[in-house]
Amino acid sequence: MRTIQRFFILFLVVTITVSCNKLDLNYNPVQPVTVPTSMRLPGIQANMAYSLYSQARFASYHSYYLTTRAGQSNAQTDTWNYNSITRMGAWRWHYFDVGSNIAGPAGMLLRAAEEGSNNYTGVGKILLALSYLTATDVFGDMPYEQTYSGSFNPLYDPQEKIYEGIEKLLDEGIDELSKINANAASMPATADLIYAGDYAKWRSFATAIRARLKLHTANFTNGYTELITTVNDAIAGFSDAMFHYPEQSSSSWEKNLWGPTRPNPEWPFADIRQDLVNSLPTDVFMKALTIDAANNIFDPRLLKLTRPGQNNKYLGAKMSEGLRDVNLPTGTTYQDFVRLDSAFWTRDNSPYPYMIKEELYFIKAEALFHSSDKDGALTAYRQGIEHNLRRLGIEDGVIINYMGSTKVAQSIDQLTIAHIMMQKWIALYLQAETWVDMRRYGYGTHAYPDLYYPRFALGEWGGRYIQRFVYDPQTEYIYNPKEIARLGAAARDWVFTPVWWAANSQLKN
Amino acid sequence: MKRTLLMFLVMFFAASVLHAQSVTIKGKVTSTIDGFPIVGASVQVVESGVGTSTDSLGRYEIKANKGQTLRFSAVDMIPATKVVGDALEIDVTLDATNQDLGEVVVTALGIERNKKNLTYSVQNVSGEDLRKSNQGNLINALQGQVAGAQISSSGGSPGLPSEIILRGSSTLTGDNQPLMIVDGIRVNNSSSNFTVNRVADINPEDIEDITILKGAAAAALYGIDAASGAIIITTKKGKAGTIKINGGYKTFIETMGRLPEQQAIYTTGTGGIYDEASGSSWGRKFRYDEPIYDNLARFFETGITHDVNMNVTGGTDKLQYYVSGGYRKAGSMVPNTDQDKISLLMKATAKLSEKISLTLSTNYVKNNIQEGLGGASAGGWINSILTYPRRYDILSYERPNGEPLYAYKEEEDDGRNARISPMWGVMRNPRNNNVERFIVNGNIDYKVASWMTLSYRLGQDYTMSKYRTVITPGTPSADYFTGFLSESNTASKYVTSIFNATLQKKVLNDFNLSLVAGFNSDYYEAQTIGYTAEKFLVPDIPSPNVTETNRITESQPRRQRYAVYGDFRVEYKNMIALAVTGRNDWSSTLPVNSRQFYSPSYSGSFTFSELFDTRRWYGKARVSYAKVGKDAPIYRTNTNLNIVQTVGGGFVVNATGGNPDLKPERTEEFEVGTELSFLNRRLNIDVAYYRRKSIDMIMTPRVPLPSGYVIMTFNAGSLWNRGIEASVNAIPVKTKDFTWSTTVNAWKNTSRMMEFAGDIVTFKYTNAQLNGGSAATTLGDPVLGIVGTDYRRTEEGYVIVDANGYPIIDGIERNIGNREPKFNIGFLNRFTYKNLSLAFLWDFRFGGDILNASRQRMMSVGTAYDIGEWRDKEFVFNGVVAQEDGSYARNTKPVVLDYTYFATNYYQVGTNFVETINWSRLRFVTLGYSLPKKWASRIGVSNLGIEISAQNPFVITNYSGGDPEVNSAGPNAGGSGASTMGVDNGAIPLPRSFSFGLNISL
Repeated sequence: MRTIQRFFILFLVVTITVSCNKLDLNYNPVQPVTVPTSMRLPGIQANMAYSLYSQARFASYHSYYLTTRAGQSNAQTDTWNYNSITRMGAWRWHYFDVGSNIAGPAGMLLRAAEEGSNNYTGVGKILLALSYLTATDVFGDMPYEQTYSGSFNPLYDPQEKIYEGIEKLLDEGIDELSKINANAASMPATADLIYAGDYAKWRSFATAIRARLKLHTANFTNGYTELITTVNDAIAGFSDAMFHYPEQSSSSWEKNLWGPTRPNPEWPFADIRQDLVNSLPTDVFMKALTIDAANNIFDPRLLKLTRPGQNNKYLGAKMSEGLRDVNLPTGTTYQDFVRLDSAFWTRDNSPYPYMIKEELYFIKAEALFHSSDKDGALTAYRQGIEHNLRRLGIEDGVIINYMGSTKVAQSIDQLTIAHIMMQKWIALYLQAETWVDMRRYGYGTHAYPDLYYPRFALGEWGGRYIQRFVYDPQTEYIYNPKEIARLGAAARDWVFTPVWWAANSQLKN
Repeated sequence: MKRTLLMFLVMFFAASVLHAQSVTIKGKVTSTIDGFPIVGASVQVVESGVGTSTDSLGRYEIKANKGQTLRFSAVDMIPATKVVGDALEIDVTLDATNQDLGEVVVTALGIERNKKNLTYSVQNVSGEDLRKSNQGNLINALQGQVAGAQISSSGGSPGLPSEIILRGSSTLTGDNQPLMIVDGIRVNNSSSNFTVNRVADINPEDIEDITILKGAAAAALYGIDAASGAIIITTKKGKAGTIKINGGYKTFIETMGRLPEQQAIYTTGTGGIYDEASGSSWGRKFRYDEPIYDNLARFFETGITHDVNMNVTGGTDKLQYYVSGGYRKAGSMVPNTDQDKISLLMKATAKLSEKISLTLSTNYVKNNIQEGLGGASAGGWINSILTYPRRYDILSYERPNGEPLYAYKEEEDDGRNARISPMWGVMRNPRNNNVERFIVNGNIDYKVASWMTLSYRLGQDYTMSKYRTVITPGTPSADYFTGFLSESNTASKYVTSIFNATLQKKVLNDFNLSLVAGFNSDYYEAQTIGYTAEKFLVPDIPSPNVTETNRITESQPRRQRYAVYGDFRVEYKNMIALAVTGRNDWSSTLPVNSRQFYSPSYSGSFTFSELFDTRRWYGKARVSYAKVGKDAPIYRTNTNLNIVQTVGGGFVVNATGGNPDLKPERTEEFEVGTELSFLNRRLNIDVAYYRRKSIDMIMTPRVPLPSGYVIMTFNAGSLWNRGIEASVNAIPVKTKDFTWSTTVNAWKNTSRMMEFAGDIVTFKYTNAQLNGGSAATTLGDPVLGIVGTDYRRTEEGYVIVDANGYPIIDGIERNIGNREPKFNIGFLNRFTYKNLSLAFLWDFRFGGDILNASRQRMMSVGTAYDIGEWRDKEFVFNGVVAQEDGSYARNTKPVVLDYTYFATNYYQVGTNFVETINWSRLRFVTLGYSLPKKWASRIGVSNLGIEISAQNPFVITNYSGGDPEVNSAGPNAGGSGASTMGVDNGAIPLPRSFSFGLNISL
C-alpha cells in the first residue's frame, strides 16, 4: 500500500512537471518578423504594379478605352454604380500591399533605418510618393498624417495636404539618394527590379512623379513655369520606370495582370479580375486610331495595342452598350471587333509601366501649350508621339507616314489641346493617369472630341460623369463612419463628387 | 460465465422441484408519500427469480412458496422485502428514496454532483434520446433537446458542419461555440476549410449522456472558453456482471428535402434578349420545341447509408470494461459524396486497491468524408445548380472519354472561359477530408481518507487530418484550367492534464463542507504541412509528382494554458447550498503583461420545499453570478513576414497584423432559476433567466487598411444576451403497459450590441456580405442582425414611388433584420406500450429573419421562380407618390416589371430578401419494437429490437426558399467569421431520410 502511495505521488510530480511547458511560445516558429531590406524591395515593386493595375482596372472603362461586351452588365463600368461592391481592391493595394510594406508598422523603412541603408529609405519614399499620388487621384481625400498610427478611424486629409506630403516624400527620397551612407546595404538588380540600384535614375523618376503631380494643379495654381522646369529636369535623366515580367513563367504571380491568362494571384476581389476577353474597344478608341475608315487605314499602333478579330472588322462599341448598341450592323458579334488581349500592353509578359517617357513629353506639351509656347508644345507633342511609335516597334517609314498624316498636328495653327490629350491618351493606353486628364478637362469634347454620356449610366446620376472610386466599403464605412459622414462619402452618388484638382480645374471648358 | 450458467441451472431445477407447494399471493403496492398506488412496481420471488409487476391500480398477483421472500421495488423507491407466510394477501407501502431528485450529474472538471444541490442550470440529455434522433453528427442530435441551445447545420451534404450556440452569440468573429469535453478532457471541435465540426467524429452509440453547462457559473471552473458554456459528453463504461453483447445495424435512405423553385419560362440571355453566350436566364421565352430540364430534381439522388455497431461490456467488482466498434458507410443525396467512418472505443476501470482506482480509455476514429464542390468558404455551393440555365441538361457534363463536355464555349476559347454543368465539379473535383483520431484518457483516483480524494487525469486528443481538393484539367477556370491540387496534412493535439483534490466533511451534523482544489494544464499544438500543385502533366494522376509547379507551406500553432482553481461549497441540510469558485488562468496567447486573469463565481440555492415536511413536491430556487475570461487566438501579438511568389521573391507583411495591446475578453453572467417537481416527480419544471455580458470581445476581423494591415485581432466591443429557458419533463400516463413521457424545451434569447471600439456603428461579417444585404451587427441593435437597403418610406411607412411609377430606393444601409428566432420550442415525446415504443420530436421556431441571398442570386441570374411569375407583367406598386405641395397621393401608375426594373431596382433592395420565418418541423419519429423476452430467448438472444425511423420527414414553413435551417458559413468559418446562422447563400437543404434498424443483445 505504501509503495502504491509513494508511486502515486511520484507519478503526479513527474507528470505535472512534464506537462509544464513555458508560456513564452506565442511567436510563430516558422515565419520571420524581419528580413534584410534587399528582400523587401522586390515585393514592394511587384505590388506597386498590382496597385496601379487595380486602379486601371476600372479607370480603363471610365476613360473610355474599353466597354463590356454584354453592355449594361457590369454595375461599376457600365452603370457607374459603386454602391453594391463589397471591397475596393485599390484601397488595399495602396495602403497595405505597397504602403504598409514600405512605411507600415512592419515596413521596410524600419529595417532600413536599423541597417543604416538610406538608399532603401530613399527608394522606399519615392515609391510611397507614387503610390499616394496614384491613390489620391482615384480616391481624393484620404488618411495621410494618421496612416499607420494604429488608429482604426484616422482623419482623412484633404487632397491638397496629401499632395504636399507627396512632394515632401519626393524631396526626402531625392535627398537620401544624394548622400548614400557608406555602410548602406547594396542594392543589386535582384533587389531593385526597376533601376538595378541606379540612384540617378531614381532621382529623375522622383522628379517625373513631381511633374505629373504638378500638372494636375498647375492650371489653378499658376504653376506652369515651375512645371516646365520640373518636367525638363525629369526628361533629361529619365528612363522608363517599368516592372518587367519573365518572358516565360508558369507561375500566375509572375504575369502581367492584363495578360491573357488573367492571373489571379490569390486575392478575392471579385471585381478586380481583368475581363478583356469580355470587353470591346470603344468607338472613341477606334475613332482615335482610325485614319481613313472608308479605306481601312489605321494608326499603325492599332494592331500593336490590339489584335485583329476573327472577322477582320474594326467596329467600335458604344460606352456601356457593347453589343446592345442598336446602331451596330445586324448580326454583329464580338468577332467583328479587334481583340484586346495578347497585344503590346496586354501580354502575360508585357512590362507593367509605372511611368513612361511619353508621359513627360505630353506633360511638357500641355504645359507649354497653356503657357502660350505653341512651338515648344508642338515639338514636345510630336516627340511624345514619335517616342510612342518607336516603343511599339513601328518601322521608320511608317512613322514618317503617320507623323505626316491628318491625325497629327503639323503646325502650331493646327495644334489644339485635343491633339495633345488624345495622343497622350493613346500613348498611355490602359493607364489610370489618362482618367486624371479626362477629369481635369471635365470629360470635355474640347479635349476629347468623341466623348459622350454613356447610355446605361443610371438616371439618378443626373448626367454627371464619374469622378472617383468609392472608399473600401468593407472597412472604411464600418470603422470610420464619422469621417465618411463628414465627407459625404456615404451618398449613393459620392463617386460623382470631383476630387480637389478636378473641382478646381480651370480646364473644364 | 460458467458459474452463472451453473447457478441458473440449479435455481431452475430448485424452482421446478418446489413448484407443487406454491400459493398465489395478491396485494397492492402504494407509496408512503402520497398513498397513491404505484404502477409498474416490480414484485419478485427472490429465491426463484419469478417476477411480475403491478397494474394500473397498483395490484399484483404472484405465485410463491411459504418461506420464500418477495422483493418489491419501483423507480425512485426504497425496495422492501416480505417473507411469505400464511397470509395470501400482502400489501406493501414503499418509501421514496432519500435522493428524490437524487440524480448525479457531471459538472465542470468532471466533478460529480447531486443535481439537488446544484446552484446553476444544467441540462442532461440521455444517450438514448440522442440515438432516437438517428443523426450521425451528435450536435444535430441535440436539436430541440436542450433549452437554450441554438443549433444550425450548414446543410445536407456529408461533412458540412453544424453550429451550436448556448445563450446567444457572444462574439462577432471567431468561435461562439461551447467548450467540448469528452470524459473530462477537452476535444477538438474545430471546423476548418468548411469541413465537419470535429466532435461529430464521436460515435453517438458510445454516449452514455451529455450534460450541458449553459451558463458561465456552471462552466466557471473551466475558466477560458467557459464564456460560451460547455458540453460535457460522458461515454459508456463497463458494468460489473455478466458479459453483455449488443449489436445493431441501421440503414438510411436519404432524399432531398425542401428546395427552392425555379422558373421554366425564359431561356438564356440578358435584358430580355436571347444570347447563347450568356449564363443568365434573362433571355426570350423558351420555344415549344426546346427542352427545359428540371435540373434540381435531376441533380440530387437517393443516398443509402449503412451503420453497424457492436459493443461488449462486463467485468467484476475489480475490473469493468466496455469495448465498442462502429462502422458507418454513408451515402448522400448529393452525387459523389460519401462518408466512411470507423470508431473503436475501449474503456476499462480497475480497482487497484481499496483506495485507488484507475480508468483508461482509448478511442480511435477514422472518418473519411468526400464532400461536394469546393469554394464554399463564403456560402453553400448549390448556387451554381440553382442558377444553371435550364436549357442545359445538368447530367451532361463529360464526354465518353472523360473529357469535359462544355455547355457553351466560344470558338477561340480553349475552355478556360467555357460554361459547364456544375455536375462536372461534383463528379470530377471532389474535396476529401480524411481524419484519423486517437483520444486517450487516463484517470487515477486515490481516496486518501473518507473525506479526501485526489485524482489525476491525463488525456490527449490527437487528430490527423488530411484535406484535399482537386481541380481536374479542363475545368473552366482562368487559373486552374490546367489542373490544380491542394492538400494539407495537419496533426494536432490537445493535451489536458488535471489534478484535483476533493475534500468533503460533515460538520455539526447538518453542515456539509466541500472543497475542490486543482491544477490544470492545457496544451495545444498542431503542425500543418500543405502543398499546392498546378498544371497536371498527366491529367488523371492528381499528384505533385506529375505537376509542373509545386509549393509547400508549413504552419505550427502552439498554445499553453495553466490554471489553478478552487471550488468551495457549504451545504446546510439539503436546504441551502452556497458555492464560491475561483480560477486563475495563464495563457500564452496574450501579451506578457496581461496574460493572467482571474475568474470568480458565486452561487447559491435554496430548496424551499425542505421547509415543509413533504415529499410530494420539491422546489428549489437558485441564483448565480460569474465572471470569466477568455484568451486570444494563437500568434496574434506580433506581425510576421510572408514569402512572396511575385517576380524577385522576397518578403511582405502578413495580412494579419499583430496586436501587442490585446487584453483578455471577459464575460459576466447573472442567472436565477428554479426547479420544481410535482406529483411524485412525474412533473418537473426547470426555469432559468440569465443576463450575460461579453466585455472587450476579442475579434479578428478585417480592419481599415490605413492601419497597415488587412486583418487584426483586437478588443472590439461589448454586447449582452438575455434570455429565458424552460424545460418541462412530465410523465402524463404511466400504467403497467403504457407510458407516455414528454419533454418540452422552450427558450428565447435577445441580444444587444452595447459598445464598439472606435467609431464603429455597423460591423459587417466578412463571410456574409452578399448582394441583398449583409450579416452584420449594429450598435444598439440585436447582435445577429442583417444590414441592407430599403425603399424610401413616408413617416407612416408607405413606400414612396417616383413619378414613373417605380419605388424609390433609399440608398442608406440600415439594420433590416434579426436572425435570432423570437422563440423556440422542442417537444419530445416518448411512448411505450408493452414492447412497442414511439418517440418523436417536434421543433417549432417562431420569428427570426433569414437573409435569402440564394433568391437574390437566382433573381439576378433570372432563374428564380418569381421571375417567371412577374417578369414583363404590368404592375401597380403599392405606395405613395410625392405631390408638389409636399403631400402624398396613392400611386396608380401601372408599370412593366422588365429586366431594367429587376436589375436596377428590385434586387438592389435588401428588404426584398429578408424573410421572417416560422417553422414547425418533425425532427424525427422513431418507432421501435422489441421482441418479448420469451420469444427472444427462444432464438437465443436476450433482446431483439427493430425500429423504423424518419428524420426531418417534413417541415411546415412560410420560407420561400429551401429548408429554412440555414447557416451559410458554418461555425467559426475558418476562424474569421461570426455566426452566419440565418443566412441562406446556396444552402444545401436538409435531407429527408428514413431508416430501419435492428438491435440484438446477447
